[in-house]
Amino acid sequence: MLALLLAVLAKTDGDLLVRLQKRDPQALAELYDRYGKMVYGLILRIVSDTGTTEDLVQETFLRVWNRAQGFDSERGAVGPWLMAVARNRAIDYLRSQGRRIQSSVEFNETEHPSLFANLQTEMLQFDVIKHMKTALERLDGKQRKAIELAYFEGMSQTEIAERMGQPLGTVKTWVRRALQQLREELGGVAPA
Amino acid sequence: MTCDELRPDYVLFAMGVLEDPERSELRAHLERGCQVCTPGVIEARQLAYTMGASAEGPEPSKGLRKRILASAGAPAKRRWHWPTAWQAAAAMVLLTIGLTAYVARNRAAETAALREEIARRGTETANLREALSLLQAPETREVTFGEGKPAPPRGRVFINQSSGVLLVASNLPAPPAGKIYEMWIIPKGGKPAPAGLFASSEDGTALHLHRTTISLATTGAIAVTLERAGGVDAPTSQPVIVAAL
Repeated sequence: MLALLLAVLAKTDGDLLVRLQKRDPQALAELYDRYGKMVYGLILRIVSDTGTTEDLVQETFLRVWNRAQGFDSERGAVGPWLMAVARNRAIDYLRSQGRRIQSSVEFNETEHPSLFANLQTEMLQFDVIKHMKTALERLDGKQRKAIELAYFEGMSQTEIAERMGQPLGTVKTWVRRALQQLREELGGVAPA
Repeated sequence: MTCDELRPDYVLFAMGVLEDPERSELRAHLERGCQVCTPGVIEARQLAYTMGASAEGPEPSKGLRKRILASAGAPAKRRWHWPTAWQAAAAMVLLTIGLTAYVARNRAAETAALREEIARRGTETANLREALSLLQAPETREVTFGEGKPAPPRGRVFINQSSGVLLVASNLPAPPAGKIYEMWIIPKGGKPAPAGLFASSEDGTALHLHRTTISLATTGAIAVTLERAGGVDAPTSQPVIVAAL
């Protein structure tokens, strides 16, 4: 039954994408109704300003609206793609504001539509998100900080080490342990 | 590197924050369809984006939905009302409305394109700021290429151990359709490592910044080759630029 429900959800996302590709304005409205709050929460977490967040949410949805043609509706998961675009817009904004002068990573390649082939949309369902939140809260404080700097500020481990004033090796150990713990805690709900 | 060695880095790769050499190694595994790393990275992407979805916030303002739909040329609500007695007249009205909506949608699309352009310029400005920061750093080393050669391109490469490599070139023809320039960091006695893709502008100038940590002691040269769009993991053509350190 659950598998059927997940298949229906995935199909619904796929149908939505097909309609976006056909420039159906109602599909954009449905996309916003489905993911708008999630995208808003992510961007606000990164930039910490409601006015800027609204601008970046608008930019995110317009980018997906204008680029949906490049997405494989049979294999792609539009939700994760949207979230990746949102995260990149927000981190680009941080960088453009001079809050991040240096970066050692090529960031925008993480939102290419081809990277979202075969992702399962159930990863963005409520239960899994709730588990993730709990798992993040259970991490050791320094480990959680390192993971948050990587995800919410797009920092490499070298940059995290500089920001936290710790040796690179120490940060690598924290990050590995934290990711291992997250995987273990989400093992029951995340796909193997 | 083996799949087991790369496994702990799957999530960092999915977040786009993994550094070289692990990043290049993992990309190479994915390029050749590695049966271990490919599903591992897909799972890691799911984990990464769930992390983003866990960032809860307040409700967006009510006007945001309307603003987004308007900027994309979409109505906030759909109304379907067809009084049958007036179909003929309604057809004329609809035609007028349709034309008006078509023009309005085109304008909205232009606005959307302009917003994207502004965002792109913002990113370019940030890149230029980083490039200037690299140029101003006292420890940055400068290498000239193309001097004295009959055929262009010419220019300079600036290398900073902690910031990366900045390439400034002129007389570099725009890449043909389906092709792109790829920069390489070539270690002394080692294999070239990919250092980003770029295209030259119509006037033949190019500026490419690759952010990385780099050792001046072990790097032999910076090179550029013309490759297929999307880039390759190892050069497949003769370099058009070589800047020997």
